[in-house]
Amino acid sequence: MSHHLFLLSPSDTPLYSLTHYSTKPAQTISSPLSSNLPTWSTSAFAGTLTALSGASSATQSHHVPGQGGGVRMGGGQDRHVIQMIANASLDIIEDVMRKDGTMYLKSVDKFNEWTVSAFVTPGNMKFILLHETKNDDGIRSFFHDVWELYLKTMLNPFHTAHSPIRSTVFDTRVRASAKKYL
Amino acid sequence: MNSHAFASLAHIRILLVPVGSIPRNTFEKHAAEIRTFDSIRLGDIPADTKDERARFMPSPLSSGYLHLSFPAHPTTSAHLPLSLFRPSHFTLGVIGIALCSRGNPAASALEQFENTLSDLSSEDSTFPLAKICFAFEDDGLEGGTGSNVGENVSGLVVIPSVMGNKKLYIGTLLADLCSQILGEFGRVVNVLETPLGNEYLNSTLFPTLPTSSQMPPPLDSDSKFDSVPHIPSHSSQPELASSNLTAPSNFLLKRNSSSGPGINSSPSTNPHRQSTLGIPPVKKRSTAVGAVSPHGRLYKVLADFFLLAGRTEDAALWYTEAIVLFKAAQDPVWHASALEGMAIASVLDSWSAGHGLQTSISNANEPWNDVYDRLSQSILLYMRATVPFDIAQDYSLLAYIYTAAVLRQTSLLFCVWSAKGWGALAFTSMLQPGATSYMQKITSDNSWSNLERLSTVTGISRSQIANVLSQAHGPWLLHLGSHERLTVLQSIASIYACLGYKRKEVYILREILSCLMDLVVCGREENDQLRKSDVGGAIRNLDALGGDEGAKIANGSVGIRQNESSEGNQSILRILIYACRVLGVDLESVKIAHPGNDGHLGDDDDGMESIISEEEEAVAESFGWPELQVGVVREAIAIAEALPDHLAVGQIALSALKSMHSVLSIGDQHHLYQTASRALAITRRRGDPSAVEYWAGRPILSIAVLPLPLIRLPIEKPMSALASRLSTMNPILTGVTDPFLYNPRKSLAGKGKSILVQNEPIELVVTLQNPFVFELELQSLSLSTTGVPFECTPISSIVIPPNSLYPVTMVGTAPSPGILVVRGCVVQAPGGAAREFILPLSTDGEEERLSRRQSAIKCESGRTKYTGLDSRPWKGQKRASAVLPPTKKASRFLECSVIPEQPLLRIRWTSLTHEAVMLYDGEKSTIRLTLENVSSLPVDFLRLSFEDSTMAPAQSALADGELSVFETYETEYDLIHRQAFSWHGDKEITDIKPGQKVAVVVTCLGKVGCTSGAIHVSYSYVHRPRNGPEDAVDVFHTRQLTYPVTVTVYHMLECYDMNILPLDNVDDLVDKGGDELLSSQQYLEQRAEWCLFSVDVRNTYGLPFEVTFERNQEGTPQASASSIVPPGSMSRVTIPVKKFKLPDELVTRAIPTLSDRQFVVARSSLSSEGEGAQRELFWYREELLKLVRGHWREANGTRSGEVSLRQQRMTLPMLKALRTDAVRVDMSLVQYDQDNSTPCLVEHTKRKIHPIPNDIFYLRTEISNTTTSPLVLALDLVIDPQEHVIIEGTLLDIPLGRLEGGDSQVIELAVCFLCSGRFDFGVEARMLGTSDSGNRAGIGRLRTTVREDG
Repeated sequence: MSHHLFLLSPSDTPLYSLTHYSTKPAQTISSPLSSNLPTWSTSAFAGTLTALSGASSATQSHHVPGQGGGVRMGGGQDRHVIQMIANASLDIIEDVMRKDGTMYLKSVDKFNEWTVSAFVTPGNMKFILLHETKNDDGIRSFFHDVWELYLKTMLNPFHTAHSPIRSTVFDTRVRASAKKYL
Repeated sequence: MNSHAFASLAHIRILLVPVGSIPRNTFEKHAAEIRTFDSIRLGDIPADTKDERARFMPSPLSSGYLHLSFPAHPTTSAHLPLSLFRPSHFTLGVIGIALCSRGNPAASALEQFENTLSDLSSEDSTFPLAKICFAFEDDGLEGGTGSNVGENVSGLVVIPSVMGNKKLYIGTLLADLCSQILGEFGRVVNVLETPLGNEYLNSTLFPTLPTSSQMPPPLDSDSKFDSVPHIPSHSSQPELASSNLTAPSNFLLKRNSSSGPGINSSPSTNPHRQSTLGIPPVKKRSTAVGAVSPHGRLYKVLADFFLLAGRTEDAALWYTEAIVLFKAAQDPVWHASALEGMAIASVLDSWSAGHGLQTSISNANEPWNDVYDRLSQSILLYMRATVPFDIAQDYSLLAYIYTAAVLRQTSLLFCVWSAKGWGALAFTSMLQPGATSYMQKITSDNSWSNLERLSTVTGISRSQIANVLSQAHGPWLLHLGSHERLTVLQSIASIYACLGYKRKEVYILREILSCLMDLVVCGREENDQLRKSDVGGAIRNLDALGGDEGAKIANGSVGIRQNESSEGNQSILRILIYACRVLGVDLESVKIAHPGNDGHLGDDDDGMESIISEEEEAVAESFGWPELQVGVVREAIAIAEALPDHLAVGQIALSALKSMHSVLSIGDQHHLYQTASRALAITRRRGDPSAVEYWAGRPILSIAVLPLPLIRLPIEKPMSALASRLSTMNPILTGVTDPFLYNPRKSLAGKGKSILVQNEPIELVVTLQNPFVFELELQSLSLSTTGVPFECTPISSIVIPPNSLYPVTMVGTAPSPGILVVRGCVVQAPGGAAREFILPLSTDGEEERLSRRQSAIKCESGRTKYTGLDSRPWKGQKRASAVLPPTKKASRFLECSVIPEQPLLRIRWTSLTHEAVMLYDGEKSTIRLTLENVSSLPVDFLRLSFEDSTMAPAQSALADGELSVFETYETEYDLIHRQAFSWHGDKEITDIKPGQKVAVVVTCLGKVGCTSGAIHVSYSYVHRPRNGPEDAVDVFHTRQLTYPVTVTVYHMLECYDMNILPLDNVDDLVDKGGDELLSSQQYLEQRAEWCLFSVDVRNTYGLPFEVTFERNQEGTPQASASSIVPPGSMSRVTIPVKKFKLPDELVTRAIPTLSDRQFVVARSSLSSEGEGAQRELFWYREELLKLVRGHWREANGTRSGEVSLRQQRMTLPMLKALRTDAVRVDMSLVQYDQDNSTPCLVEHTKRKIHPIPNDIFYLRTEISNTTTSPLVLALDLVIDPQEHVIIEGTLLDIPLGRLEGGDSQVIELAVCFLCSGRFDFGVEARMLGTSDSGNRAGIGRLRTTVREDG
């Protein structure tokens, strides 16, 4: 079971991203509808376009929809699709964020198999987490941890709100927190 | 959208097909007429049949409606299994629209209609249930076909053009058609009601109605047609023999209009019949084994038909029945479908019941919750439904039904939301989505506040709708057929767009694009047959998308373009560009230039704005998700390549390079650049006139005019300089220093304007930059100039190395004089359009404004005012520009003044070899230069100026002003009178004709310390022929030839210790048989009037020199003293100089400055006396140096020169020796005889006085005033040794009194020598009344030797 965390700047640029594979078993609640076909994201992108664009990413394999689902993809783990979903969920996050004052937006969006939870800091940084299962308390604690770490990073006077976070300390601590809560 | 209307389950679909050769617009016109009937009152339906068909007929007074929809194409045959599950999905009726005219009679129209129908539907299809052909009469055939009306062939209705109320007639015809359809419903149900029919119904998940041929004969003979007639039409009660239908039958008794299925089958018949049908005998459910097929599905079909028939109450009733059965029997798909039907039935009820306006307020619970819940339940059931066998088709159908259900729920919420509540508008938009324009309204006003207002009014938030909608998106989309997939995705995308969720919309749009492109490519790759069947869906779908793809794709086999219309391609690209813009990539940042405009920006402001905006873009932070952007751009290029639209490929690739090159990796940049150049090359090869604009940022960094070589460089001079030249002071002294400390004109003049010459090559250096990681190729580069014409060949094919600056030299000529303005460059990339880049000179103000602007942007860069999509760069936030609006000042450009043609001289020959001169110090030699005029213009003005290495230090010392007055004078004298180079030929050369040669002789003086020099020849053609007085110019231009000279000066003679001695001190020297010159009588007699000048000359060189000093003094014969100075030795040269006295008024004059410098403040801190003394020294020295001049000559050679004494200083003792005293003192020793009083001089031999001791003598001192003014004097006498002399009177302060000018006075003093020996007498005359020092007016000396013998 995997989690994908993105820290997005107000201009929608990711400053930090993390893919966390938790040890917990992934409970697949797959609908019978989606059986017998290539899974999730392949429908969207592993089409002709992937073949045409000559994309180098090996995770996407060539599959022409309509010719029957033979090839199984990486279980919706395609990075590009994950990013697209995270990006698309910003629509709802922005909408909800303007109405509710809360920082933690629990399960604000669902797309394909992913549930999106978000955390909006007062500085309009958005932490977006794509997860598959419900883990409300864990995610909340995780977000608070990440926020604290982010604030500590921002204390660095040479770090602006738009520069990517490359601090290894930040990275290891976020990973530790992810391991703890997710 | 139409196919996913909320109430589509209640729509009777009637297909409109064109029949025969009907023009498209005529068909559209008539179809639109028919489409206005979106509902028909039940009361209007003719219900005259009495058989089983009457079951679904409305009662004559019922008040419901039939809802119609008119799709443009039939349901695909792939969906046939749904025919019983969802009859509303199919076209129940067909209306052919034909045009009947004289050449095309109605009968043939009918035939064509039949043919069309057989093409559309397969034989085994149940549908369409009813068909009719409307033959509209051609307008032009009035009366001609009137007979046809009465003809009335069955299935063909001729509508004459003369008919008045055509619409009413059509309405009646439609009602007839509906009546037929409803009748057919009854027949279908009748079949299903039989046990065999029910078996069929329950056999598979999506059963089909058996065709008549499949119906086993026993059925026909058995009971079907016999039993049917006895079922009464309207008031029939279902003959329900089976026990499980008793409960509803009680309920049904009250309803006179409802008819139930008459099922009289026995369970025992089932097993063997199934086997005969050839249907797989596998049981779906264990509960069904051995049991009678449940009637739930039958009830549901019944309810569906009732719903279609507009009898919602009956429908709801039967749905309820069915649901009860389904719950028990675990048939989730049918269960869910029944729930859906219930939901729609209730909405229809609300719609017909006064359009539900009042109910919306009363209920605290939102009225649509009921419907919503049913739909969610059904969605859940669909979701969980399992497909019993892995039949791909069932998956496809199930997925389709599922997505349709989700869309139905979404559209419920969406319609309520967009119609501002549960009301008439909402119902209308649910029933007939095409009829309402709410969607358009929402899309037009997409502001957040507007959308949010809808949410608050309705209580439905946008995220709620989006969450419901997102259920529709999933992997099951792959199960769908291509057409269904596209329509589903398109519906999803449009709802997201209406919600204002652009990113989600884009997500879906990307899927749509990939589906489309998949179809395009597959369509090409497969053979014709396959292509036709596969691409058909895509064509229709593109119609719905708004782009008229048409036959382009169908015909789009590789290489041949049969359809020139690129509309379809363009609409695909439009979607693509929209998607990229939402993700923050502007695919149109590089515009397409059409051949009409040639790329020249007409307006300066435009250029400036673009420059500024580009600069800002560079500063502003980037927007978006770089990885996604790269991905989407790749995809875009792939799509454009597949279309193929090569121009778009180029545009997209270059736009991405332009706007994203900071994010792109090196490999991507290379790839994009190669793709773009390849695509543009193809475009060019195909002769497409349009091209992309120049894209690669700002290529021009700077343009500079290369300075002309010095010999060609013209120097501008005012005409007045010609006239006033002689009167001005010598500029050599001051250099070219400006009198002003800060001269604003000077700094301004130095900038911007360089001088170029007509018809001579002009070189400009253009610095290009390449910010990319690949080699950037420019196809051509030319200068853009205004002002005088400029001929410059453009440079083609420049390759700029990656990430570097690259200077390019351009050469051109200006054929006429005037001002040449270089605006910038016109740059063209390969395959692109040319674009002008202007390069204004940055003024200080502009620079400052820019830097302030940039710092303002930098200051803001950390903060964000706009987030999300609003922060995209082209959103046009005016933050920074609002702070500092750009000034609308006309920009200045690089200006050059092109002056008329100038003559050109060159140095043809010189007398020097290797440009070197070797001189002794003080030696003079000449340099001969031969100048040749190589131009076609005469030279009528020639000046020479010189420069040597001693000048600059002297000038700077002078400019520093640290020198004393005396030193200043010396330096200035050196500069003016002892120049290293000089020329005395001002007037000699006036005119040099073209081709003529002229020799110039320059004198060269050896000055110690001079190492190099230069001869500057300035020349010009001043007096040109003028066209008229108005043509007179106030400037002229000179050119300068410079001839550098290396000078070596040997310093061989040094003068030391100039000294001046009074001559009376040199007795000893003379005694010792010294100089002949000195010993001459002349000096001895008047020794007091002479003094002796001496100087030491040392020869530091390796050769002997003869040094001669000459005296040229007025009143004395010329005298000279010479000496040969051997190498390394020193010799003293002496020469007597007659004392002189300069007049007071000369001596007291200040030391002059040779340069008439202004504001020279005397810095000396001397007292006035000191200053007077200094001035006296100065003037006497000057006079002395005039009198005495030194020369040298090689001892055994011919070279000669001057010896300068100007290094020598004069001291006060020297001055005293040189200057004639004011008072002349003569001393003598006299003796008086006893008798007479006349004194007689003591005898002396050889100028020596020998008095005898112990005798009385008189020391006679005669004092005469040599000046003209009276003096008051006193005398001091000194006797040495005094103790051996007896004197009478005092020695000191002997008063003389006032002595008139020219008078003399004698004083005698009696002395007696007491012993023999040498005695010295000294007298000093002092002026009284002046200060202590320097009041000596004159001295006298006398030496006696007292001897016994006398």
